[in-house]
Amino acid sequence: MQSVSKTISHRIIKEAIRIRRVEEKFLELFSSGKLNGTVHTCVGQEFSAVAFAGQLKKKDFIFSNHRCHGHYIAFTGDIRGLLAELLGKASGVSGGIGSSQHLCNKNFYSNGIQGGIVPVAAGYALGNKLRGDDSIGIVFIGDGTLGEGALYETMNIISKWEIPLLIVCENNLYAQSTPQHINLAGDIVSRATAFGIETFEGDTWDPEFLINKAQGAIDYVRSSKKPGFFLVNTYRLNAHSKGDDDRAKEEVESYRNKDFLNIFSKESADYYNRYLEAINREIDELVDEILLESELPFENYYQHKEIVSDNNWSALESINKRQVELLNKFFRDKIVADDRTVFLGEDILSPYGGAFKVTKELSVLRPERVFSTPISESAITGISNGLALNGFKPLGEIMFGDFMTLAFDQIVNHASKFHHMFNKKINCPVVIRTPMGGRRGYGPTHSQTLDKFLVGIDNVKTVALNTFFDPAIIYESIFCEEHPVLVIENKTDYGKRILSNKHSHFLYERNDDAYPVARVRPAVSDPTITIVAYGGMADEMLSMLEAIFMETDLKPELIVPSLISQLPIDIITESAMATGRLLVIEEGSGYAGIGSELLASVAERVEGPIKMKRIAAYPVPIPAVKSLEHAVLPEKQRIVKEIKEIFG
Amino acid sequence: MALLQEIQVPLLAVNDTTLTVVDVAYPNGQHIKKGDIILVFETSKTTYEVMAEVDGFVQYLCEAGRDYDVNQVVAKIFSTDAEVLKEPIAAKQDLTAQIQEVKQHIVNAWTGDTLYSVEALRLIESLHIDKSAFKGRDFVTRQDVEELKGINGIANKKIAAPPVTATPKKAIAPVDNSKVIIERLSSNKKREIEFLSPVQSTGLTSTINVTVNTEGIFVHLNRSLKYFKNSLLPVIMYETARLLQKYPALNGYFTGDGIAFYKQVNVGFAVDIDKGLKVLKISNSAEKTLADIEENIMALSTRYLDETLQLEDLTDITFTITDLSSEGVAFFRPLINMMNSGILGISAIDDKLQRCTLSCTFDHRVTEGKMVATFLKELANRLESYRATNHIYPVKDIICYKCSKSLADELGDVGFVKSITPEGKEGYICQSCLKGF
Repeated sequence: MQSVSKTISHRIIKEAIRIRRVEEKFLELFSSGKLNGTVHTCVGQEFSAVAFAGQLKKKDFIFSNHRCHGHYIAFTGDIRGLLAELLGKASGVSGGIGSSQHLCNKNFYSNGIQGGIVPVAAGYALGNKLRGDDSIGIVFIGDGTLGEGALYETMNIISKWEIPLLIVCENNLYAQSTPQHINLAGDIVSRATAFGIETFEGDTWDPEFLINKAQGAIDYVRSSKKPGFFLVNTYRLNAHSKGDDDRAKEEVESYRNKDFLNIFSKESADYYNRYLEAINREIDELVDEILLESELPFENYYQHKEIVSDNNWSALESINKRQVELLNKFFRDKIVADDRTVFLGEDILSPYGGAFKVTKELSVLRPERVFSTPISESAITGISNGLALNGFKPLGEIMFGDFMTLAFDQIVNHASKFHHMFNKKINCPVVIRTPMGGRRGYGPTHSQTLDKFLVGIDNVKTVALNTFFDPAIIYESIFCEEHPVLVIENKTDYGKRILSNKHSHFLYERNDDAYPVARVRPAVSDPTITIVAYGGMADEMLSMLEAIFMETDLKPELIVPSLISQLPIDIITESAMATGRLLVIEEGSGYAGIGSELLASVAERVEGPIKMKRIAAYPVPIPAVKSLEHAVLPEKQRIVKEIKEIFG
Repeated sequence: MALLQEIQVPLLAVNDTTLTVVDVAYPNGQHIKKGDIILVFETSKTTYEVMAEVDGFVQYLCEAGRDYDVNQVVAKIFSTDAEVLKEPIAAKQDLTAQIQEVKQHIVNAWTGDTLYSVEALRLIESLHIDKSAFKGRDFVTRQDVEELKGINGIANKKIAAPPVTATPKKAIAPVDNSKVIIERLSSNKKREIEFLSPVQSTGLTSTINVTVNTEGIFVHLNRSLKYFKNSLLPVIMYETARLLQKYPALNGYFTGDGIAFYKQVNVGFAVDIDKGLKVLKISNSAEKTLADIEENIMALSTRYLDETLQLEDLTDITFTITDLSSEGVAFFRPLINMMNSGILGISAIDDKLQRCTLSCTFDHRVTEGKMVATFLKELANRLESYRATNHIYPVKDIICYKCSKSLADELGDVGFVKSITPEGKEGYICQSCLKGF
């Protein structure tokens, strides 16, 4: 048996023992059925936590992963909050909502998604840099996370943009159960070197060296304001989670013998036992106390709110400006006036100013707040998330709506969940803008309307702009939001003027909701069909109303919601009950679409029969060739024909 | 100080749930005497004057030209002038509700032009409605037109219906003179469209076809026919006229909120021989013999060609028959004339199949498929009863194409065989030539 360093501080050893004892306590509690869910323990890796999390300043921050207990204890010292969290109590650090993998306290955040936390941490660090303070951040990943693309998107950006973030890769040789030689090609450190990131290396078997090296890396990141990459070679002595361990006993045993605390317990048994006893007493007392506590009441977590739309309608006026000009003007004002504003996206710098020129000249007005990104939708969104957590109002632009799928993990597993899974301690007021819609001949991967995939994301608002009123009204509300908002703009709407085609036979109105509902009704007649359309389709419908009347013999009322993740069901139901006919038209394909949601919601409320119909794009990729694109998307002839067939 | 009389909208006809106030005789607060006509209503059929039952001061709660629900209070008579002025305050709650109700019933003033749906336009054209009837409306649908005309049982609810006037028609289909050459419709064609539009334009018509087995039908029939040998028209008119007495719904028409049944059967037949399509009447057809009918057809056709038709030859036709058999048609869908509920079409006799199609188009608002099917089946049965079922071929005329022997000369008891000759013609062959001796 090898001998361990005698110069290392006993404070550090005690901290490591405490982490190990808490982890072992969790396994005991799990075995006795007191833990709901799962735990991933870091037994064997404790010194990594102590070396990095333990040496940060309070103003610094940490993003950690599923194996985060050690990091949490080392950074916050809050054993009680952690124990209560895993025991599912209201006093837990995340109110029992997050449990083992989702902790949030004093600039410490963890999430169970591999890789996704890296761009979030980068965004958070970017926020610190924009504020001009010298705080830095650490993001912990495992060697298994080296398979995630988001990591490399972020390494590229943090190096290029000189973001003060230290990536600590804890290499325990296994991705869950799979040994590294099966999954990992090449060299770990070379990955970071290739991005021009300063690299460091150490291991948990020589804690003294690791701690000194870690301090050096932290100091480097802080002073140079550049990223670093630290490879910590280590080994977890327990299973990935609980019983799932297929590693060779001899291998595990060899690492047990090599483990610092194990050696210390034998070489300095007196000290070890004295520390252990004190720590055990502390933990046991806490657990006894926590077990008597109550869990979070459901109503503190979720309360249903009925949708009540505003019912004050005011007339809409035409504006002789293109939608894109109005958007650009609003953003120009904001980037100067609102210090929280940050723009990120591909090609958004002037003179280009974005593929659709929405961000034109913003980088001239305030260059340090406009980031032209690499082609990295996941990182754009993740960095935006991190900026939002850090108090900024980031507006990430995804160049084409079709690319939203590349940003999906960041929206679904990060932005949408942060507020709730951390028991409402934090908000993530991120804004992701993207243009959708066809009719431009861009073909299958640049034309689709994917809104139906977005509106199903809980606690994320999805807003569809339209050409009925100044989009600044919507963006002003978005700037007041405390939670994520996805904004679907429309390629063909950008070039259109606001309400340019007013027809004297109709009244054009909107209500006073934060995300106004627009309405077009016959000037004096009672309407006989309710049509709901939104986004780019709304403008298409606007130009069709007269023809619909002429050809179908029905007097249309067009209702145009802008907040499509929470449809104004009350307004629509009332109208449909009056007309007896409800048609919803969407530019995306119909199955399980927004039309389905709308009709189901209306059907749940109405009394008496209403004839209902959805018209949507056909369920095929949108062709580039004009005639077929026209045929796939809902167009006038088809709409008129279907109205006649269904409602005639 | 008292309320002396309340004038409510009376129920004058079951279908009129609202009445139009056409005249408000006095200004508010005017002193009136018992017997004065203070208000005039208009129903879909007539006008109705309301007289004051007492002396007093009148307060109107209505305006001329607007519709009010039956039983709604539209005027009051008070004992003193002062009450007239106080009334709105005293009964504020009531009045507000009334005003709101009134608002629901009036068509808001719309000063812009009126937008018509294609279907509305079609109906307006076919009914010759003056478009000014829709002044003050933003949109006009087919239903609006129907409501105005009281079609489909919907009473004249919203605005007073001006009479149907013959205004010049306006083309509703776009015309691009660079692409098309326009030929004006003849007056005959216009009249034809006029006669066919009312029933057809509702779209509520249907056609049923039956076939009549005509094999041997003229063997006896031709003996009774003087002018129209080998024509089914006279006998069909004869039998149809009689059958229509049993099926009165086909001898009537849809009035908009009811069905009119003609008391007499006057079957008309359509002719079109270079003088325009006309339907000529055989009055009291059910009482006429086959010979009478044939005579009538002959006489009317002559007058048609001589252009000496009288108005009575063309009017009060209760059912129409149109015969396209001479044109060789297999079957067709005849169109119902104005103020008829049905029309019978006669197609050509198919010589090979020995049958003829009869098609009856009917107004579904008056009758329905099952009834018309029964009517047609009965008519077909009656016609088939004229067939010479055991008729004997004139044996002299049947000659073996090979040996020229006639059937009359045939000594065997098997008869001849119908065959195709080497020239591809139909012919007969005797047993001897077919089998050999």
